[in-house]
Amino acid sequence: MKTKKLRAAALCLAGTVLLGFACPRAAAASARKDDEPVTLRVCSWEEYIDLGDWDEEELIELDNGAEIFGEDALYREFEQWYYDTYGKQVRVEYSCFGTNEDLYNQLTLGDTYDLVCPSDYMIMKLMAEGALEPYSESFFDRENEENYYINCVSPYIAKVFAENEINGESWDRYAAGYMWGVTGVLYNPELMTEEEASTWAVFDNPKFFRQITLKDNVRDTYFSTLGYLRQKELMDETFRSAADYHEKLGDMMNDVSPETIDEVEELLGHIMGNIYALETDSGKADMVTGKIAANYQWSGDAVYAMDQAEEDGVYLQFAVPEECTNLWFDGWVMLKAGIGDDTEKKQAAEAFVNFLSIPENAVRNMYYIGYTSAISGGDDDTVFSYLNWCYGAEDDEEDAVDYPVGYFFSEDGDDESYTVHASAEQIGRQLYTQYPSQEVISRAAVMGYFDETQTHNINQMWINVRCLDVRDIPLWCWLLALCAVIAAAAAAVVYRKNHTLE
Amino acid sequence: MGVFRFSRKQLGIPYAVFLICFVAAPLLVIIYYAFTNGEGRFTLGNLTGFFTSPYTIGTLAYSFAIAVATTCVCLLLAYPIAYILARSRWKAKSVVIVMFVMPMWINFTLRITALKEILTVIEGNLAFHPFLNTIIGMTYDFLPFMILPMYTTLLKLDQSLLEAAADLGADPFQVFLKVTLPLSVPGIISGVVMVFLPSMTNYVVLDMLYNSTYIMGSLIGSYFSAYDWHNGSMIALILLLIILVFTLVTDRYADEDAGNRGGALL
Repeated sequence: MKTKKLRAAALCLAGTVLLGFACPRAAAASARKDDEPVTLRVCSWEEYIDLGDWDEEELIELDNGAEIFGEDALYREFEQWYYDTYGKQVRVEYSCFGTNEDLYNQLTLGDTYDLVCPSDYMIMKLMAEGALEPYSESFFDRENEENYYINCVSPYIAKVFAENEINGESWDRYAAGYMWGVTGVLYNPELMTEEEASTWAVFDNPKFFRQITLKDNVRDTYFSTLGYLRQKELMDETFRSAADYHEKLGDMMNDVSPETIDEVEELLGHIMGNIYALETDSGKADMVTGKIAANYQWSGDAVYAMDQAEEDGVYLQFAVPEECTNLWFDGWVMLKAGIGDDTEKKQAAEAFVNFLSIPENAVRNMYYIGYTSAISGGDDDTVFSYLNWCYGAEDDEEDAVDYPVGYFFSEDGDDESYTVHASAEQIGRQLYTQYPSQEVISRAAVMGYFDETQTHNINQMWINVRCLDVRDIPLWCWLLALCAVIAAAAAAVVYRKNHTLE
Repeated sequence: MGVFRFSRKQLGIPYAVFLICFVAAPLLVIIYYAFTNGEGRFTLGNLTGFFTSPYTIGTLAYSFAIAVATTCVCLLLAYPIAYILARSRWKAKSVVIVMFVMPMWINFTLRITALKEILTVIEGNLAFHPFLNTIIGMTYDFLPFMILPMYTTLLKLDQSLLEAAADLGADPFQVFLKVTLPLSVPGIISGVVMVFLPSMTNYVVLDMLYNSTYIMGSLIGSYFSAYDWHNGSMIALILLLIILVFTLVTDRYADEDAGNRGGALL
């Protein structure tokens, strides 16, 4: 009887385990019938696409005549647009992930998606592992008007995507830029000067003891600490004016040799003694409530935080450290595991990227999430008009300044027609954050992906910094613990002694 | 053809399935990962790694410190309240009890968010007292779990025993020390179990109250998010063993008082 039960239990167990492993694979393998609509499984960051449902007064009327209004979620509108354009049905299953690592874990555990939107280094990692499906030749055909991505992407972004390579292949075959930005310090100008905020050393500044937060994220924190560690070299004039400055900067900020990691660990341990805390999302609100004077921030979140703070009458500013900054991207990549040989699906996935790259839709996303779209619009000046709509000074404003953004909008970086006539207060605020100046861009470095050993090493460094070192526990704590143990044991003994009186 | 006959045992099937899917199977996976390395080969390296690293041992010590402090504070706060509530003949008593239980109806992250603002008003800068804030947050979170079992035990306490003790000449303090306290031990034990173990791993409270030091829960999470399933699983397994030992020890005390054997104590 007993063995029978055991066997049944074992069978049950094996069944569940098998089911759990087999199900997603079986679902992925089953072929779609021809008359069924394509199902496109899209996974992106939370709050990273316009979900529509705008109020009527939110209608954006641009100088170029475009009227932009978010009716429905963009991925819903895509289904209609796809049918109107290609005459085919598509159904979008849209889901979200929390961090790049979460997404990667989901993919390795068997979740299948067709189109995902991870950050630069995760794109590189997936590329290196051969998990990505390249975009088809026709996607890059400028003649086709429906190819909004290739026709509207910023020349600057296109250049970065073409220059960065993994295994001898450049990113742009596999990834289409979605949002981009730099990292820096969001600060409250009433508590901190621009000069104080414009360096990675700010986190170690004793003047702001327990008043600044860093990101609870090993890559960001490693970058900022490394920037502080290498401050002298990074600020050196000969280093900066060297012909291969950019290459050297990239190498320096991607240095994960064991010696450098040790140095960063020591410095970071010191910084931890000065900062307020590590945060992932609370920093924005804490700036508004005045808990902290500054925090490490991605430019997109900084714009969002500044917008939110203004509603409460708090005016925040963004500074990009003089040493260097981390240029980051999120991009759409197709997964081999999801797309497979399904050409219809691939077409739908590419069309989805093109649909999001329509300048009007890029503006809707920017308006909704505050990040900077990789789309400049090409011949269409909707995005530039939106910039003027957001930040352009009134005609009678006296202290207006010219803010050139030509590097982003035109092939010729010095094109003066792309200059925003903005009110002076925008410098250091949203405009500067959303579209950093050419000068900021010149000291930007992409942080690549690290191989398994390197990743393990920096993660171990992070754990060491975050954990209490048993050797640091003072003697009185041990004595206190000893007393507590003795007291507990004594109580137990007394209790048991009384108990056995019967 | 066999006729399907419903028996009471079959009512347990859904739970058995649940147990297999969400307890037994994951446990096996954890054990597998804990004793393998990246290449899938058997290793004890994760185990020895845990006990030789000053950082993991330090984290274990820190988690213990938080759990012990939280449990003590909860105990000291909850016992008098439970005692007063159980002994009083006050009619509005149930209202007071509801007031203690009410926080449990609200999601604890919301409550900690509110607590954060209150503490900021009191302390000015939360970053100066991370350990204290953590204890306050945990206590706020777990206090109802301590009060309720103690209240139930004290409520069931036979009044005649106390009267007998007083009749035999014990003063109120002696009555409390010799009768009430020993008889409430089962309540204390179940309260301690419900507070001590969760507070070793409840890292959300630390995150939300700006304590950047890892405890056991956050350490496991950090290994998992770095794709290191092996070390993470090993720590989870060690934590599980600690819980097992703790439960076995406390069970010995709780079990002996099961049933109404209180009279024998006198």
